[in-house]
Amino acid sequence: MATTVPDHFQGNVDHHAHADHDHKPSFFARWFMSTNHKDIGTMYLIFAIFAGIIGGLFSGMMRVELAEPGIQYLDIFARWFGATNPDFNSTLHVWNVLITAHGLIMVFFMVMPAMIGGFGNWFVPLMIGAPDMAFPRMNNISFWLTVAGFISLLCSAFVPGGTGLGAGTGWTVYAPLSTSGSPGPAVDFGIFALHLAGAGSIMGAINFITTIFNMRAPGMTMHKMPLFVWSVLVTAFLLLLSLPVLAAAITMLLTDRNFGTTFFDPSGGGDPVLYQHLFWFFGHPEVYIMILPGFGIISQIVSTFSKKPVFGYLGMAYAMVAIGVVGFIVWAHHMYATGMSVNTKMYFTAATMVIAVPTGIKIFSWIATMWGGSVEFKSPMVWAIGFIFLFTVGGVTGVVLANGGVDDVLHDTYYVVAHFHYVLSLGAVTALFAGFYYWFPKMSGRMHSEFLAHVHFWIFFIGVNMIFFPMHFLGLQGMPRRYPDYAEAYQHWNHVATIGYMVMATSLVVWLINMIYAFSAGRKAEDSYWGEGATTLEWTLSSPPPFHQFETLPVIEEAAHH
Amino acid sequence: MILGKTVPTLGEAAKALDLSSVAARSLLARSLVVAAFSSTLAVSSAIAAPAAEATSAGSYTPMKPTPGIGMPVEGGIGLQQQYSKLGEYGEWIHDGVLMPIITVITLFVLLLLVIIAVRYNRRANPVASKTSHNTILEVVWTLVPVLILIGIAVPSIDLIAKQYKPAPKGALTIKVTGNQWFWTYGYPDNGDFEVVSNMLNLPGQPTINNGVREVGSQPWDGPSHLEVDNRMVVPVGEPIRLQITAADVIHSFAVPSLWFKLDAVPGRINEKVLLVEKPGVYYGQCSELCGAKHGYMPIAVEALPRPQYDAWVLTHAGGVIDGQKPAAAAAAPAAPAAVATEAASEAPAADSTAAATAE
Amino acid sequence: MAAAGAPMISRRSNRRVAFIALSMALLMLGLGYASVPLYRIFCQVTGYGGTTQRADEAKAAGIQVTDKTMSIRFDANVERDMPWEFKPLQRTDTVTIGERDMALFWAKNDSDKVITGTASFNVEPEQAARYFNKIQCFCFTEQTLQPGEAVKMPVIYYVDPAILDDPDNKDVEQITLSYTFHVTDVSDAKTLDHSPAGG
Repeated sequence: MATTVPDHFQGNVDHHAHADHDHKPSFFARWFMSTNHKDIGTMYLIFAIFAGIIGGLFSGMMRVELAEPGIQYLDIFARWFGATNPDFNSTLHVWNVLITAHGLIMVFFMVMPAMIGGFGNWFVPLMIGAPDMAFPRMNNISFWLTVAGFISLLCSAFVPGGTGLGAGTGWTVYAPLSTSGSPGPAVDFGIFALHLAGAGSIMGAINFITTIFNMRAPGMTMHKMPLFVWSVLVTAFLLLLSLPVLAAAITMLLTDRNFGTTFFDPSGGGDPVLYQHLFWFFGHPEVYIMILPGFGIISQIVSTFSKKPVFGYLGMAYAMVAIGVVGFIVWAHHMYATGMSVNTKMYFTAATMVIAVPTGIKIFSWIATMWGGSVEFKSPMVWAIGFIFLFTVGGVTGVVLANGGVDDVLHDTYYVVAHFHYVLSLGAVTALFAGFYYWFPKMSGRMHSEFLAHVHFWIFFIGVNMIFFPMHFLGLQGMPRRYPDYAEAYQHWNHVATIGYMVMATSLVVWLINMIYAFSAGRKAEDSYWGEGATTLEWTLSSPPPFHQFETLPVIEEAAHH
Repeated sequence: MILGKTVPTLGEAAKALDLSSVAARSLLARSLVVAAFSSTLAVSSAIAAPAAEATSAGSYTPMKPTPGIGMPVEGGIGLQQQYSKLGEYGEWIHDGVLMPIITVITLFVLLLLVIIAVRYNRRANPVASKTSHNTILEVVWTLVPVLILIGIAVPSIDLIAKQYKPAPKGALTIKVTGNQWFWTYGYPDNGDFEVVSNMLNLPGQPTINNGVREVGSQPWDGPSHLEVDNRMVVPVGEPIRLQITAADVIHSFAVPSLWFKLDAVPGRINEKVLLVEKPGVYYGQCSELCGAKHGYMPIAVEALPRPQYDAWVLTHAGGVIDGQKPAAAAAAPAAPAAVATEAASEAPAADSTAAATAE
Repeated sequence: MAAAGAPMISRRSNRRVAFIALSMALLMLGLGYASVPLYRIFCQVTGYGGTTQRADEAKAAGIQVTDKTMSIRFDANVERDMPWEFKPLQRTDTVTIGERDMALFWAKNDSDKVITGTASFNVEPEQAARYFNKIQCFCFTEQTLQPGEAVKMPVIYYVDPAILDDPDNKDVEQITLSYTFHVTDVSDAKTLDHSPAGG
């Protein structure tokens, strides 16, 4: 039977017809050799939650240590990692391991797998009307490479890395601290982890690009693709073009460490600053890789719950393309303090500020989408509005940091920590939760509790603001980042931040309870449980969708309002 | 306590003689100042003597920092008070330009969200409009941010240009070297002596630097985590060419109240001008992850009027003033030594000459 | 719908798109590695990062001497744990722009090993680097010092008069030339010093 897709897209979908030959493989074959985009997406999400809990525990360990000046807990943590009788240096080294692991886990093993691997895998094929990804087996390899990378990173914490166990270089792995400054295999394990995760992500990027270019259903032109698909397409290109540069840079680190090359070693004519250029050539697009799919998710949600099409669809799509392109030419704003020439600094200041323009277009377009709408404050929408506000706060402090002259006082302080957590921890993570509540019933077939989802939001919102807003004050007052200990004057706001962490952690308990509720007592989700505002193709399918969908491709017809 | 009070007084006395003028550099002015402080503060130099030890020449007692100046303040929510011209300019750009703009933008977005929640919720507005384009609106929210950004860029680019103005030829050069995990300060224009600066140990915490005293054991000690055993002493009111490098991994030399941050990169020097406007102690911390004790290598810059700076220089073996030969430097204050018969003028001369010839 | 034909076509065209994408990734990987020599060349040509220029005798001979002067400062460092002393024999020097000048550095090996070192270098302010030409320098080659040996090492350089026309350099009154010595090889002194005496 045919289901009519309301409003924007006209789908012609036949999914009940094949329900009877919807055979699933055995447990092992299904979950370990999976080639099904939805199963792989589910595995990515579970993996990201697991990695996020570990990364979040590490940040909790950091926050309790920072609750007051002095070193209180690091020697205990050192013992957890297997050190016996740690001396003071190896105790302090644990701090550097924590910041490194927290950064790498959250970036490579939480946000990226959840955004791209999880939601991307699940919904890009559904939204464009494709039966699966273009290369299902490569999809499987991508996932298991990411898992292998994570294991390699965890292993690094238990082997020597210079002054103590584990890699204590920061997620940026700057030479020469990561080369001559960190003897022992820990940093090699860390680099290997990045290689594996990077290879997995490049394969994933190729897969998404091919899928989006080639596997769209008839009538699904590029300019009709949902914005989430656009965001994943731009992200895939950013991955494809930036990750190989990281791979090259960290491979050179590896040979500098182990085979006597001097790419970044001044004693052989190398330059440690070159490593930073290469790293940030990857690193800046990387931050957009983390946030762009979030933009896509927010666009879908805002449109759904305002019961309006996205305002300025083309402007929204090309704003993301613009952000992606400009993201490649601003990298050295991470390096203002390295002693760059005056003209270079002026250029990067100006170029960086340009990014505010497409970002502003996105914020205002979301607001314009809601304006005049009939807004329903269901849990995904509340999270999405929270995202818009928090991302605005993180965005405007980015404009402050873009100024090379002002960066002299803010570079490498807690102001920077506050900024990138507002766009990532409060931006990307809020978008992840928004997407999670939006699609969880679609993926699981069970409704979560709206009440608990709202409670989760408000506790989370208060908690994260308590953690990160005071960090602006600490940064302006000059507190450097990556410090396990600080002067007494910094105690007040650090204490507030630590309490905020506990509030935030409570909200995650609410979230887990909500999941338990959904799986044990949640009511069965309808096909299109958010109602008339949800217009993309995934809502034409059952919840959860059949194991194989769109065996007869849906046809997207010209929508009436164009 | 007495010591702590005398030192700022000394600073005031010297300041009264208008040190920034050329005249202050003349021999006459210098001898006057030396005479002034060696007579009025004989007590202070006597007490300072043990600290200066055998190197003794000139005299120096570390300055007691003023609470809240050159250091973070408890519960502070803004930038540290600035003590350099560039810092004041930068502070104005941050507090006067950037902060108002970003606050207004954020509140504007918040206001729009609140209006949506009130006016466009499902009950208040049951039927959604279908508007999805408005060219004028889209042009406006592209162009207005562009104009705002240009408005920000003008002073911002100007600040960068000013920061990069090189030091004049005769500027004093100080060489800063980052090490795991301490700073060394070289004074190539003052006889090439070197000051090793370690963080003071914290009471009740494991020893951070062996052989270094605990913070608070001297009356002039500043805040814990920020105070060091030997500060980087600089003359106030004149441009100083800071040349920064590192001996092992990358460090970063940062002093928030002087609007100064520059990485110390091994294998090369970075250079930038530092000009401190007011005598005082200004604290900073290493700002690039450099290993285990990254958090324990603070920076303390003590800015002194020229004569006291010169007196401090002479407390170091081989310390020379203004690039003159040690003997000549010593002779200058020695001439009017009829007044200042203290060890402050004579012993140093002999010592520093000896040190220089030994080298 | 061409139900039978479509998958075949799409599979082939999938491979083509994937191949193009993979080529882009490999190209970026290649660029990552190529950035090392490219960065070096970029620095040498533009003086970026304070990289000095290298001039041969012929080029140096063709430089017009001006009546303006420039103050030059010399700076010397050794990396951590390198048992050498290394100093400039003059802290500053005033040179006529365009005229070649010689500066001397002094190094001494304080260890009982034969140590070979190379010097990395840069110029500050860095916009002056493209006008700072070295004709001869100890940094062009490795330097080997026997245990306890001390040497004087020359640098012959000139400042290109074109600096006077560059607005970026109008405020530059003093240029600092800095060197840092790094260990490239340590060998046991015995093989060189003591074996003739012993045998």
